[in-house]
Amino acid sequence: MTDSERKGAVLPAAKEPGDAVLDFLRLVMEKKLADAVILPLKVPSGDSYAWILMNDISLLDDAVPIAATMPVHGAKALRSLTRKGPGNLTVIAVMRPCEIRAAMELEKLGQVHPDNLILATYDCPGAVQLQKYVDDPAGSEKLFTEMMQKGKPDDSAKPVCHYCENFSMFDSDIHFGHLGLSDKEMFVIPGSSKGSKFLEELGLTPAVDLSAWEEGIDKLKTDRKKARKSAFEETGVQLRGIDGLLSVFANCIGCHNCQSACPICYCRLCYFDSETAEQNPDALIIAAEKRGGISLPEDRILFHTGRMAHMSLSCVSCGQCSDACPVSIPVAGVFSYIADQTQRTFEYIAGRNDGDPLPLRQFRKSELPGVHELVKDADAEVSSHE
Amino acid sequence: MKLPMKDNKKNSVLVLGAGIAGIQASLDLAEMGVEVHLVEETPTIGGRMPQLDKTFPTNDCSMCILAPKMSECVRHPLITLHIMSGLKNISGTPGNFICSVIERAKYVDPVKCVACGLCEEKCPVKIEDEFDVGLRKTKAISRYFLQSIPSEYTINKNHCLYLTKGVCKLCEKVCPTGAINYDDQDKEIELNVGAVILATGIDPFDPIGFGQFGYHRYSNVVTSLEFERMLSASGPFGGHVEKASDGKPPKRLAFIQCVGSRDEGINRNYCSSACCMFAIKQSIIAKEHSKELEATIFYMDIRAFGKDFDKYYDKAENQYGVQFKRSKISEIKELSDGSLDLKYTYENGDIQHETFDMVILSIGLQPRLGSRELSKNLDIRLNRFGFCRTDTFHPLKTTREGVFVCGAMNSPKDIPESVISASGAVANAVKYLELERYDPSTGSEEIKEKDVTGERPRVGVFVCHCGINIAGVVDVKNVAEFAKGLENVEHSEDVMYACSTDCLETIKQRIEEHDLNRVVVAACTPRTHEPLFRDTISEAGLNPYLFEMANIRDQCSWAHMNEPEMATEKSKDLVEMGVGKARGLVPLARLPIDIDPEALVIGGGLSGMTAALAIADAGHDVYLIEREDVLGGNMRDIFFNFNDSDPQEFLAETIEKVENHDRIRVLMNSIIEEIAGFVGNFRTVLKNSAGEREELTHGAVIVATGGNEHETAEYLYGESSRIVTQKEFERMLHEGKFPPGKLKEVVMVQCVGSREEGRMYCSRICCSKAVKNALELRKRKARVNIYFAYRDVRTYGFAEEYYSELRDRGALFFRYTLENKPLVSKIRPDDPDSRIRVTVFDPVLEKDVVIDADLLVLATAIDAPEENLKLAKMLKVPLNSDGLFLEAHVKLRPVDFATDGIFVCGLAHGPKDMSESLAQAKAAGSRALTFLKKKSILAEGTIAEVRTDRCTGCGYCEEVCAYTAIEVDPEEGVAVVNDALCKGCGACVASCRCGALDLRGFTNGQLFSVFDSLELEASEGI
Repeated sequence: MTDSERKGAVLPAAKEPGDAVLDFLRLVMEKKLADAVILPLKVPSGDSYAWILMNDISLLDDAVPIAATMPVHGAKALRSLTRKGPGNLTVIAVMRPCEIRAAMELEKLGQVHPDNLILATYDCPGAVQLQKYVDDPAGSEKLFTEMMQKGKPDDSAKPVCHYCENFSMFDSDIHFGHLGLSDKEMFVIPGSSKGSKFLEELGLTPAVDLSAWEEGIDKLKTDRKKARKSAFEETGVQLRGIDGLLSVFANCIGCHNCQSACPICYCRLCYFDSETAEQNPDALIIAAEKRGGISLPEDRILFHTGRMAHMSLSCVSCGQCSDACPVSIPVAGVFSYIADQTQRTFEYIAGRNDGDPLPLRQFRKSELPGVHELVKDADAEVSSHE
Repeated sequence: MKLPMKDNKKNSVLVLGAGIAGIQASLDLAEMGVEVHLVEETPTIGGRMPQLDKTFPTNDCSMCILAPKMSECVRHPLITLHIMSGLKNISGTPGNFICSVIERAKYVDPVKCVACGLCEEKCPVKIEDEFDVGLRKTKAISRYFLQSIPSEYTINKNHCLYLTKGVCKLCEKVCPTGAINYDDQDKEIELNVGAVILATGIDPFDPIGFGQFGYHRYSNVVTSLEFERMLSASGPFGGHVEKASDGKPPKRLAFIQCVGSRDEGINRNYCSSACCMFAIKQSIIAKEHSKELEATIFYMDIRAFGKDFDKYYDKAENQYGVQFKRSKISEIKELSDGSLDLKYTYENGDIQHETFDMVILSIGLQPRLGSRELSKNLDIRLNRFGFCRTDTFHPLKTTREGVFVCGAMNSPKDIPESVISASGAVANAVKYLELERYDPSTGSEEIKEKDVTGERPRVGVFVCHCGINIAGVVDVKNVAEFAKGLENVEHSEDVMYACSTDCLETIKQRIEEHDLNRVVVAACTPRTHEPLFRDTISEAGLNPYLFEMANIRDQCSWAHMNEPEMATEKSKDLVEMGVGKARGLVPLARLPIDIDPEALVIGGGLSGMTAALAIADAGHDVYLIEREDVLGGNMRDIFFNFNDSDPQEFLAETIEKVENHDRIRVLMNSIIEEIAGFVGNFRTVLKNSAGEREELTHGAVIVATGGNEHETAEYLYGESSRIVTQKEFERMLHEGKFPPGKLKEVVMVQCVGSREEGRMYCSRICCSKAVKNALELRKRKARVNIYFAYRDVRTYGFAEEYYSELRDRGALFFRYTLENKPLVSKIRPDDPDSRIRVTVFDPVLEKDVVIDADLLVLATAIDAPEENLKLAKMLKVPLNSDGLFLEAHVKLRPVDFATDGIFVCGLAHGPKDMSESLAQAKAAGSRALTFLKKKSILAEGTIAEVRTDRCTGCGYCEEVCAYTAIEVDPEEGVAVVNDALCKGCGACVASCRCGALDLRGFTNGQLFSVFDSLELEASEGI
């Protein structure tokens, strides 16, 4: 389906865009097109959200499909549901695009089995930083409502949201678009053949032209692109050289919260938490003698660079790592910057559901010439010794 | 390993010739439990392959892929090598032959010789090196080439001063082990064997006698074999090609094809089959050496007919810019600066001149010198060109029963064809033996293994001098002294030759004396010597995996021969690292895996039936699965053969044998629903046309699913009864049913669907098939005019003769290009029986020729069946980009898959003719028997293991494993290693980011211990 052909159906929204999503989900449950729904639900205290797998339709009354902040990443919820297989029941989930993108990466890593999932996204204005939300839930909710109206993140949003280009429809089954429409309306747009079929069964015919919505998205993307460029330039300067790296991660307390919060970090036990990473004291003392000094514990910077090596190809720049950092290291900015480069190197876009396997799992012929040169150089060296 | 009964004629075979074919045949036989006598004329095994630099079409280093097979061959307990030996005659009857073997005097005792090289250094007699085709000098006592196996030295009695003139004896004086024996005599021995396999190979054509192209007169004219040695990094010029005239690198190379091939005037009216690819390979390699170099190949037809050969040809032309000029060389002149002026004529008569720095003659392959005498001695017959005589349906049988042939001895062949024929000949030979299944997992003399768990590491270090090989550079005593000071080292000493029999005894004694529980040997490479040392320590009661090797020869004395002090320091590092590794080594077990004796053959065509018979005749039950309701496959459409034998008669005989064989169960109308399991333990679910299912268990699988004739839409095929495919035409000839009216003009168009976008491969058999059918047509209707539109005529091997016969009989040949294909129209468009107008451009006359044809015959391509994909997925074996099954290695494992226990043959592997299918089917049968003849096999000790508590089942490991040895269990969501299939390569371990995988014997802990010791050592050095 090309963009120009894309059409949507219009849903009415009682007060705000989220209401249209809830009505849609009620219809889905009534028509028994899904067995359960995954949505953020306000916790009893009313000042945060949790992912709830619900099949009691009345729970939808307290659900907030477009939540202001994201304490737990949605892909983690999907992983916990389908880690051991797709199950037999159909479940529909509404999440931020970065959450669905992470789920797509996890699918490639065998951690999410989306066969029986219907994944829906919406035009995400950004998410409020977790710490800011915790400090002032009510104020944050207000700010987020404004963000929704403008379609843009403000200062309370995560820094990565300011330059996120994939904030709208991105390989989900169904997308809810509200930008360019009044508060009382919402587009519902099929994004996959699964999504089209689902809408058809629901009795919704995508017949409305989407060009106004698409224009709005494109304009926002252009702004984000600019923001991205300048943010990366800045990050690049900060990170330059080992000194840059040391300074950026200077306050790291080694809590590994960033790794726990990361939706992509899927190892049961991180290498850096395993006994293999523990060093022999003599080796450390000798290393210190050789280099004049080494920082302890030894794995502070290595932990971050190791995570970059393992995860940057799948990083969707959701910003959870920064939210989790107790000492305000701009982890997400750094990872986003690195991910941008590694993904471009392999011509790969994390979160794409186009059958393209993870780059390190395949070897393209076009990658051969480079390797060939290396091998030849090595050969030449060997023969010159003989 | 427990060996089957020895000294039994019913259990032994003599293989003559230890080139790649002889080595392969010996290994296959030995793996089936057969005692093999491998008789070789030269002082080493290896044959022609070690002379090659690289191999087409993968550019693998020839020696790198061959060396492991050579080591395996020399170390195999069932293979006895008779080097510098010849077969004098064979008497007795098949199944009970007496072979007289002459073992020539070597003058060096191979048991004492440790190949230190002192003798060669001191020997005053310089002679031409045979291995390097005279491009470098060697001595009268020498090793045949650097990586010779066996590595011992021999004396050339024709040049040795003492043996010829009675003076010198220098070698005897310097030999540290007293190995020189000037009194050595030729010996004649008798060997009682059940069958004989001949694999004496070929000689390169020698252009000297024919004075062609100024060879030997002009210094810059070389043969392709000489050029190959020049290209080789281990060759006389270290891989730097230079002109003999001035020692400068050449800039412009000319390759002249068919020197000594396709030449009736010198009784070589056959195609040598390999030289086109050989030249293309050399041009690519030469251009890789130097980008500015220009290469031109002068040819008649480019015969790139093998699997993936056309892609290689295309790469040479379009990626490397090699020039291909279809022309004849009429004159070659040397200019004053040594460069060469070539005068050549294009097919349209244009004459051109061009100057080259070096001319390479692509010399053909010819029967070996002395093959006529050998044939007389062995009472076998040769064909008119002097190759061993065989026939289409028995491509591996000589004219003497019980004596078989493989390799290029009966027709020019490339490496994979030779390997295939070798395994195929083995299937024939085993019919004359009585083989029992044997169990290699039970030791004959059980040595109780010492339990070392919980013991403090007590490491013994042995540092080898290797004569001057190591000690000439490295201060070996110093290294051994240094090792004494390392933690956990209980004993350290320097030894003259660690691998010599007495030193191996010393190692065993030291283990006893010092209660050692880990051993480190600092010497040469583990690739050749680790198995020997492992066996030694296990004889002393230690688990063989408690051994570690430090390669201080290759990495120190060789790599740093000009910096002895640094080489010594580095040796210490390597020893320390070795000790570091040894400290953490733990005993590993090799678990036995039971092997089911039955085989499953998929496909009931000629290949499938032949493979089934090969296995069944060796005493194993075979399930032969055929999708259709009739056996025979594509062969049902073949009625003629060049030499007048009847394919249908042979097919009927084969079907009868299969149907009446009490060990073959034919399952017709059956398809495979599921295949699970692994080597020795497969389980297959079949479904027949009635919908009934059956489950079979078996130890091996042979894929023989065949190929399809391409259904073309070109050349108005299907629109007239006068347009037929070659297959249809052959049936027409057979039934005598031609289109109505007179048959006067017949046009044949080649390469219909082959060698172009969508099917970038040559279908290999169409040229020969068309020539065969054209000759058959001529036989029946002598006055028919035959027009042959082709791109390259690829009648390789002995089919060349029939191609020239067809030319002689007046058929007209038109070469067309892809851009200028023949045009076809119907003279009366609405008439289904209309005659056909064919317009074809004649490059000789340079104009269009119009033929109103009574019959147009299209040589349509051979397609891989689409169902291959489904089967490949079930078997977890790969297909190539053309949908053909992809073998484990295109050169040396042409019927195996990387996954053990599964084999491929026939058209499923690639287009081939009946003889080639028969040979490959027998080969597949043989390869399967190498497993089926064992009751069990031993899994490797160094295999990957999964820590399930860490594994997240992401599947990275599954995708990087080349052997399908690791899989994510879908229920548990964690990876599981199949011990039987794991080769311990470690790819999965490297891919696992969760740290859930480890390679036994190379665990993270063990490797970190190595790094730690290096770091400690390095800091002390600073």
